[in-house]
Amino acid sequence: MAAAATSAELLNPLMARIAAGERDALRQLYDATSAKLFGVCLRILSDREESEDVLQDVYVTIWRRADRFDAGKASVMTWVSTIARNRAIDRLRARGPMAYAEQVEELEIPDGQDSAETLLSAADDRNRLQGCLSELDDRTEKVIRTAFFEGVTYEALAKRMDAPLGTVKSWIRRGLAKLKGCLQS
Amino acid sequence: MSEAPDLTEAEALAAEHALGVLDARERADAENRMARDPAFAADVEAWRQRLAPMLDSIAAVPAPQGTWARIERRLPANDDRMAPANDNGRLLDRVRFWRNSAMGGFGAAAAALVAALVVGNQPATVVTREVPVQPQGQLLSASVVSQDSRVQPLFVAAYDPDRKQLIVTSLLPEGSDRDKVHELWLIAGKENPKSLGLVESGKAKVIALPTELLAKMADGAALAVSLEPPGGSKNPDGPSGPVIGVGKLSKL
Repeated sequence: MAAAATSAELLNPLMARIAAGERDALRQLYDATSAKLFGVCLRILSDREESEDVLQDVYVTIWRRADRFDAGKASVMTWVSTIARNRAIDRLRARGPMAYAEQVEELEIPDGQDSAETLLSAADDRNRLQGCLSELDDRTEKVIRTAFFEGVTYEALAKRMDAPLGTVKSWIRRGLAKLKGCLQS
Repeated sequence: MSEAPDLTEAEALAAEHALGVLDARERADAENRMARDPAFAADVEAWRQRLAPMLDSIAAVPAPQGTWARIERRLPANDDRMAPANDNGRLLDRVRFWRNSAMGGFGAAAAALVAALVVGNQPATVVTREVPVQPQGQLLSASVVSQDSRVQPLFVAAYDPDRKQLIVTSLLPEGSDRDKVHELWLIAGKENPKSLGLVESGKAKVIALPTELLAKMADGAALAVSLEPPGGSKNPDGPSGPVIGVGKLSKL
């Protein structure tokens, strides 16, 4: 997706129009963001059919909640991506506990290698987060990424990693505290 | 970065909720807390912001053909313009419906806005006023909703720049909050909220706006209502009691 197509100048006014009930504005937002959001759903669900289903939910949700979008708090892209991620994780959870049977080691977790295109889009936030995540110890980074992309609960994480729940909890809490400190510095 | 201070218990919980590691019951608790604790909700939001850039590295994949058509079919108010579109669209659709029917003019639209909202709601006084001319300026409307349950608006307001008037209607049951009053505020930019006066439960009121406030009545400004002791807020620069609802002004 070209950086220009997702710029705030283009997307912010769309949100106001969607909030006012303009269907054409939702269509424009769909054109500008659906490939990205479908990618997010697919990354979390690994299933095209389910991902398309969730993608529909996502745009219906955006339509209903557009009036709650606050340009001062989030970029449109972040806002809609978060909705897509949360919806996809809800769907993942609905599959039941078996969905979490996989071992952490076997999961393919992208190591943050970026294509030239995404690098060019100059996502400072992403680069900063990437940098701060990589400063965590490997295990903590992996656990946080796994939790984020799969919505895996503490309990399931503890089972997967064969570690006591309290231990996993303290890894994550410490990791999040460090992350915050690093992002602020 | 090894000496990062621990997160407070509340912030840790907010971060865990944003990350998604809580179990179903804890998640429900966190959602409830977000609804009644704005500071906690802001923490969760801030954590979502911090973590969201992880999504940026995911490659875009074109959505299957026909997805848009399926989304469009699922949008409410497809055929029936009286059906809810979205929170604002519903109001606007109704207003447009009424405005286009017979009478026209701002008064009718505003009255219809009130009338339409009162259906299935608490009884409220309906204002009907004679308005002879079609307005020239940009009409604005706001629906003031509570942060906990955003389903039913608590107040609705419509602003007519030509008449320099704001019509505000309380949709709360008449006589509710007997020992308290509801004070209406205009929130524009970074300035302190400006009081627009008191609004009685279940009543509609026409507020003539002072000149210095007219420029602030713009798309994106917001109205808020606070619960105050009789006589209104003791603080000249903003509410002294809890804010029970807010709503953005948007073009009608």
